[in-house]
Amino acid sequence: MFTQLIGGLTSSMTLFLVASGLTLIFGVGNVFNFAHGSFYLLGAYFAYQLVSVTGIGFFPGVLLAALCTGAAGAVMELFFLRRIYGRGGEEGFQILLTYSFILIIDDVVKMIWGTDYKSISRPEILDGAWTIGDLFVPRYDAVVIATGLLVALGMWGLIRRSRFGRNLRAISANREMASSLGVNVPVTLSFVFGLATALGGLSGALSAPVRTVTPGAGVEVIIGSMIVVVIGGLGNFWGALVGALIIGEVTAFGILFLPQWAILFSYAVMALVLVFRPQGLFMKQGVAK
Amino acid sequence: MTKFPRYWKGLLAAGAMLALVSADAAWAAEKIVIGAMYPMTGRAGRYGIDSVSGAEIAMEEINAKGGVNGRMIDIIFNDSKANPAYSVKVAKRYISEDKVNFLMGVVSSAVGLAVTEVSKENKVIFVGTDHASTALTTEKFQPYYFRVSNNTYQSAAAAAFYANDKKEWKKYYVIGPDYEYGHRTWEDFWMLLQKKRKDVQLVGQAWPKLFEPDYTPYITAILKAKPDVLVTTFWGGDTVAFIKQALPYKLFDKMKFYNYDGGGNYELLEAMPTGLPKGLILSARHHLNWPNTKLNQEFVKKFKAKTGRFPSYAAEGAYAGVYFIAEGVRQAGTAEDPDKLVAVMEKMKIKLPEDPDGFTSYMRPIDHQIVQVQAIGETVPNKSYPPATMMLGNFKVYKAEDIIPSEADIVAARKAVKK
Amino acid sequence: MTPARTKPAGGLGQAAQWAVALALFAAIPLAGKKFFVTMANEVLVMGLFAVAFNLLYGFAGMLSFGQAAYYGVGAYTVGLLLSKGVLPFAVALPAAVAAGAALALLLGPLCIRLSGVYFTMLTLAFAEMVWGIVFKWYGFTGGDNGIQGIPVPDLLRSPVRYYYFTLAVVFASFWLLRRIVDSPFGAVLQSIRENPERTGFLGIQVRRYELAAMVISGAFAALAGGLFAGYQHSIHPDMLHWTKSGEVILMSILGGVSSFFGPLMGAAVILFIEDMIGKYTEFWEIWIGGIMLAIVIFFPKGVIGTLDSWIARGRDRERAADGTPGS
Repeated sequence: MFTQLIGGLTSSMTLFLVASGLTLIFGVGNVFNFAHGSFYLLGAYFAYQLVSVTGIGFFPGVLLAALCTGAAGAVMELFFLRRIYGRGGEEGFQILLTYSFILIIDDVVKMIWGTDYKSISRPEILDGAWTIGDLFVPRYDAVVIATGLLVALGMWGLIRRSRFGRNLRAISANREMASSLGVNVPVTLSFVFGLATALGGLSGALSAPVRTVTPGAGVEVIIGSMIVVVIGGLGNFWGALVGALIIGEVTAFGILFLPQWAILFSYAVMALVLVFRPQGLFMKQGVAK
Repeated sequence: MTKFPRYWKGLLAAGAMLALVSADAAWAAEKIVIGAMYPMTGRAGRYGIDSVSGAEIAMEEINAKGGVNGRMIDIIFNDSKANPAYSVKVAKRYISEDKVNFLMGVVSSAVGLAVTEVSKENKVIFVGTDHASTALTTEKFQPYYFRVSNNTYQSAAAAAFYANDKKEWKKYYVIGPDYEYGHRTWEDFWMLLQKKRKDVQLVGQAWPKLFEPDYTPYITAILKAKPDVLVTTFWGGDTVAFIKQALPYKLFDKMKFYNYDGGGNYELLEAMPTGLPKGLILSARHHLNWPNTKLNQEFVKKFKAKTGRFPSYAAEGAYAGVYFIAEGVRQAGTAEDPDKLVAVMEKMKIKLPEDPDGFTSYMRPIDHQIVQVQAIGETVPNKSYPPATMMLGNFKVYKAEDIIPSEADIVAARKAVKK
Repeated sequence: MTPARTKPAGGLGQAAQWAVALALFAAIPLAGKKFFVTMANEVLVMGLFAVAFNLLYGFAGMLSFGQAAYYGVGAYTVGLLLSKGVLPFAVALPAAVAAGAALALLLGPLCIRLSGVYFTMLTLAFAEMVWGIVFKWYGFTGGDNGIQGIPVPDLLRSPVRYYYFTLAVVFASFWLLRRIVDSPFGAVLQSIRENPERTGFLGIQVRRYELAAMVISGAFAALAGGLFAGYQHSIHPDMLHWTKSGEVILMSILGGVSSFFGPLMGAAVILFIEDMIGKYTEFWEIWIGGIMLAIVIFFPKGVIGTLDSWIARGRDRERAADGTPGS
């Protein structure tokens, strides 16, 4: 049972890393970034390039991959998304614009790296697992869980304790007001995009050793993390953490009892939450309104 | 400024309609034109891209020798997007605009089932090269369809022989992608094995969705059930992800890992230059290092020279498809008379890279399914095909006639559908 | 959002426009190219789907991301009834409309309680559940293999005849939808889009109107699905997947959600681009993505909406030059 719990926890943390970026963009920028899964994919390919091809070492490679992904995300905001803010029917155009990035990124990846599966080996010290009695914790999973927690803590500090975080909260509450109070809204938004997509990239880079790195892998991630974000409350950072935990564990235990219907679990949870508590389970605190 | 008429939208629509002109339909008369559809984007992209190269190699070889009956072969490719509705549209365009003589391709069985309808309605022969659903040759069979690669039943039947010999395999667990292919590949195997053995038992099953990124919860559930052998019916990246995630749990020390249809594909061996365990029992529709015939070696070498990488099994399927068509046209003396072609093709023998010495693949008239041997091997260290460091070895080979459903079974299955 | 135009129905200008459009579509089979008929048929079907979607989005301001569920249910109603030999086509097609409406009546009351992005997400979640059921229920729907060889009556077996049938049904539906949009009901929907609270203050039961919009949109989406099943003779769970819902959003916005026929034009443009580019390159994604991106950036009202306002501006200038006051 405990091993099942830990298994669910690992899934949760990877989900959380992607979902946290998605919810951040929504909370602050009011943009639903459909292409977020593609930044996850970019992160994985950057990591492959840096770790397996260039050979700069695993952890530096993963970090740098996240940064590069963040830069790509900031570019998308700066040169494209920015031009449609405040336009009539903006939400529809957001979907289209970010969706066009899914297509473009998928093909760019295919042009550069081809369609074969790329792989990164994890550092040797992280190969095995720790066993404590019946409990079985793969070392690499422990690193993923720890990274997830660290990111959660770091983001908490950034949002709650820093001046930057205060700006974020101000923009999220009222963009015009924040601007008139002297917050540089455009720069902050680009930065938030960079940060959020970097989180997506980090998640992709960390997943590369344990998943398949192939074009098209971003699409599976986006729906999963969207569900997580909705459950936690759109734009709510902590909600994303709890949402990820719920989905991870519901799947982990659900498959023990109803293996045939695993395909419906997460949608069912999402629909239930929306019907009974549309604002998400945790919509009191957090970045958004 | 000129005045725009009020109905400018209508005119625009007309313009758009007229823009749909395929000017280049004239070439069709001379050449033998094959309309090929393969997935080139998304998760199955590798299969499609390799198929394109495999088909091109066959075309170049044939045309270099002067073509077929003096006619050159030309292949048109279009992404199938692994989407049935889109592929049907492409197939219709191939037939009515490009005037193709043959349809070929398709990796997804669902797409194959949709395209075979178009083939039937238009009487254009459709050569399936890499979709495995048995329905196409049994319940949904139509005379203008041919399949030149093994179907899931053939892999499953060979797998049942293999498993029957392993007396210590008693407790089975199955995990596979939750769609028809995953389930059918398992069910045929299990049905056949149970006929041979009374002492086998299924201790659990799991059906994650296709392309599930994260198998950790499933892995822990499998470990808990303590099976002797884990059957998986994953293909492509799903196999890779599953193995990577199961490694730290030492799953491969605790049970045998058995993937008898798509698991031994080179893409998997190549994707894990480090960490791939020894002793996984796998198979595929074509192997790079078996059989050790000149034909196979030549094919692999040519593919490597053309693309810079080694082929996954889909490439050999497409290669076989083009040769099958060429040989059919040569024997029938026509590419335009489908009924004459069917009469020739359904009795055709054709030597393919995957045929071992002393065996030649042949078509079976009753279901237009090619009859081929199947080899199951296990992973052993072998660095001859980099970047892979493991290849399959210790092959066990199953006779072609032993692993196809009997003609009586085919008739019965078709009757069951018609009621 | 730019308000949808609510020109009064009838009037010579509009009647002429309809006649021209109808005549153009009717003339397509005369070109003698089978594939034109295939494409035009798909343009009509997806056009109907998109125009029906736009009743919800463009007119009532409800961005549903789950319309594929209705489209797919329509297709499966026709596919199942025909292939199991239960009902003839003449009954199966109306049954598809009824099934679409029924599904909307079932899911709608839960969805309309929410607004904005929450509404969007819930429609998506429900649609994905419907997709999951169709995908998994092998015994009934054929699962992921779909249904092939759907028998249509001999009268409609020929693609050209079926095309004229589609043309008649789709234009009749357009006419009905246009009447709905121009009716007082349509006016209420647009006022809901502009300001739901204020509409409520007028004593209008906003939710009832929203539900009605969902039912109408769902019914016509199902009709489009049913028509497609009859033409294609094979259907598949992909028709219910979220990517299909995304496709119809894409077509509507690219065409322009503020005009009634914008979505039809969007459908035509997307389908042609898809076909043309697919023919020439395996890297179609980057082309389609790039074109989408360019349209989003440079055509803020969609292709039709933006061209329309350019032309209107041109006319105004012309009138100003003539000395007559512009509008």
